[in-house]
Amino acid sequence: MLTLWLSGWGGVNWPWVPSLDLRLHFRLDGLGALYALLATGVGFAVFLYAWRYLPLHLEHQDRSMAEEPRFYALLVLFMFSMVGLATAQDLILLFLFWDLTAVASYFLIAYDRHEAESRRSALMALLVTGITAILLLIGALLLYAEYGTFSLPELFELVRPGGTLTLAGALIMVAGLAKSAQVPFHFWLPRAMTAPTPVSAYLHSAAMVAAGVLLIGRAYPLIEPSRLLLDGLLAVGGASTLVGGLLALTREDMKQVLAYSTFSQYGYVVFMYGLGGAAGAGAAAFYVVAHAIAKSALFLTAGAVTEATVGAKRLSEVGGLAPKMPFLAAASAVAVGTVVALPLTVGFFADELLFKAALERGEGFAAAAVGGAALTFAYLARFWIAVFLGPCRSEPRAVPRLMLAPVAVLATAALVGGLAPGPVAQLAAAAGESSVREPVKVAVAYHADLRSENVMAIATYAGGGLLLLCAAALQRPLGAFARLGSRLGPAHLYEVLLSALNALSDRIHDLEVRDLRTRVAAVLFPAGLLVLLGLISTPTAGSYDVGTIGTRDIGLVLMLALAVVGSLAVTVPRHHLTLALALATVGYALAGVYAFFGAPDVAVVAVLVESIFALLFVGVFTLLPAEVLDREANLPTRPSRRWRDPLLGIVSGGVAFVLAWGALSRPTPADGAGAEQARLAPEAHAKDVVTAILADFRALDTLVEVTVVAVALAGVASLLRRGRLW
Amino acid sequence: MTSVLTQTLARLLLAPILVVSAAVLVKGYADVGDGFAAGVIAALGILLQYVAFGRAEAERLLPIRLVPAGAFAGLLGALVVAFWPVMRGDAVLEHLPAPGAAVTQLGTLELITAVLFDIAVFMLVLGAVVGIIHAIARAAEGDER
Repeated sequence: MLTLWLSGWGGVNWPWVPSLDLRLHFRLDGLGALYALLATGVGFAVFLYAWRYLPLHLEHQDRSMAEEPRFYALLVLFMFSMVGLATAQDLILLFLFWDLTAVASYFLIAYDRHEAESRRSALMALLVTGITAILLLIGALLLYAEYGTFSLPELFELVRPGGTLTLAGALIMVAGLAKSAQVPFHFWLPRAMTAPTPVSAYLHSAAMVAAGVLLIGRAYPLIEPSRLLLDGLLAVGGASTLVGGLLALTREDMKQVLAYSTFSQYGYVVFMYGLGGAAGAGAAAFYVVAHAIAKSALFLTAGAVTEATVGAKRLSEVGGLAPKMPFLAAASAVAVGTVVALPLTVGFFADELLFKAALERGEGFAAAAVGGAALTFAYLARFWIAVFLGPCRSEPRAVPRLMLAPVAVLATAALVGGLAPGPVAQLAAAAGESSVREPVKVAVAYHADLRSENVMAIATYAGGGLLLLCAAALQRPLGAFARLGSRLGPAHLYEVLLSALNALSDRIHDLEVRDLRTRVAAVLFPAGLLVLLGLISTPTAGSYDVGTIGTRDIGLVLMLALAVVGSLAVTVPRHHLTLALALATVGYALAGVYAFFGAPDVAVVAVLVESIFALLFVGVFTLLPAEVLDREANLPTRPSRRWRDPLLGIVSGGVAFVLAWGALSRPTPADGAGAEQARLAPEAHAKDVVTAILADFRALDTLVEVTVVAVALAGVASLLRRGRLW
Repeated sequence: MTSVLTQTLARLLLAPILVVSAAVLVKGYADVGDGFAAGVIAALGILLQYVAFGRAEAERLLPIRLVPAGAFAGLLGALVVAFWPVMRGDAVLEHLPAPGAAVTQLGTLELITAVLFDIAVFMLVLGAVVGIIHAIARAAEGDER
């Protein structure tokens, strides 16, 4: 991947669906290379880890090892869609990969599918990111409607600031923010921690959540022209950093601390994009790299600690592990150091760039950045101290080496980045360049002087230490804040909306399918009303002729009269057999109408179908116990039904009558489709036009219809004969 | 129902019904009729045997066993006719020979692939109806074997 990027691979740009202007356009530019490298690099470390973790995980849950390949397949699918997302240069393609990551993440989060909580969390993640993904699609379509292309490079050249661009940019931005679990969409991320640890480590550090800021970085030229949107990014990023950081201080579960920390950290990234300009974009890209490496290492640490302590997940259940597991303690200390920006780690430069970008914008922003960083320092220090220092609560058991090695590899990467930040800076500069479309300089180095970035870093450590000391005192107000959030916050709104939607769907379902009559009414009545509206809005001059009836038409009139009488008769009998026979009478009468109307083909088929159906009805009635039929026949009509059913029948029948009358009153155009088909029939080797239509002109319809017949046979066989045909 | 009179009538009528059905099928291209109608007519003829002789006897006397399976053979046939042209690069359900081209005749019947399609429809409809009749009859006997 790296060599491909360095060799300046131009990517591919193939036509895909030319009629819809869709292209398979992939390019490994700076942004694409950065995220693709993260997805594959961190993905590889997670893969190694999962190799040992998953068998243990399945064993703890008494599950079959046969479920293992599914996990790897999903992980690979996720990695694939992430790389596709990173390199796609076409909005629709982007949307497809975007949804593919959502689908893969759904299955990964719900990997422990026997647990209701896992399934609920996965659904929440899918709904929040999936519904907002629609906004991305709407944004893409808006842009297409305005500029006629889905291609991002072309759009960047074409777009002009204005209402459409702001709206489309806002929609795309919201999709990205939801994926990055920014306030107010943050609630899905902590819930998703029910996933197995490797999934959390991957999805919630380097992949799924990173996809959100990737989108913002990718669509940055669409967002940047609007000051409003940039300010929105600032506000959302700042709020996420604050909320995530404060809540992380109060969490007890190890993975929960990390989850809140994650969206808090991505809040930084969003904040930096909101700062605007080259400095912000470059710093954001740099930050993503540093954070992804360190955060995945921390998630893996949490998993290893849980494994070593036989299932301890809460901070209060662990402690004093440093002497027992020095290797893990050291590696995770580096990871913590990276996120809190200690010197010698790549994280130091990440914060340096953040401070620099914030300073450029103003002192208030710089203060906000320092505050956020101090908060990060406090909760991560609390995390590490609780796990590795203090009294040891239990004797840890040995953890497979392959579960520790990835943590060490990631920590080493963070250290190497801290000693030689050049390559990362270069990559981040290239990524920033893809966003702002102008050369970006990401200059990072250690300076042993009191420049403002260094002072801000020191202020961060001091502030963080102070916060850490006050953490115990802060627990009460913060706990109240957390409770308030869960009672009235967006998570609550989500639950309310979801249950309201569910209730609505139940109501509609009830209305439509509870019994056959409501179901038929649910189709006929709205259809009748719609047609009625159409009729009212159509000019009626010349329609509704009443022609003359000659002696030749007596047969036709008699048959029609029979059909009318039959239809009315159907409403009277209560016994099923009589009903079936009355219905058959209507059918035969209509067959007679067709015959007199000059459609012998239709008449023959109508007679045959009517006969076979009447006989099959009789056969089916023999299958039902006589007392059931009797009971059903003697059920009293519900009062609510007494007026409803006739009313619905009269309305829909009346509308159909008026419609047919109007249609038949108009003279048939001589050169209509019917005449054309009659002319073509001999050429299609058929002398009978109906047959030519069935077997040739409209044969695809026929094919589908006979397929339905075969399906009906299969249905009857499975209902009556448990699937046996004979 | 299983009196001598009905049984004799049913036996006498079976052959003419099947002949009519075949005629409706092959005459469809010149006159009223098609595979669907032919299939229903043949199925009615077989239903008559069920009514007159009872299920076991009717199935003993006539080789009905294979008919329901014919439904799926018919579906397969229809799909082949539909998608064979796609393999050759034509549109779905493009019939051969082409419109207006010379064609082998069998009496008045012109042998084109549309006829094959109709035969497939015939088999499907006949098989489906007979299969449903059989299923109802077996279920009515309470035979859950």
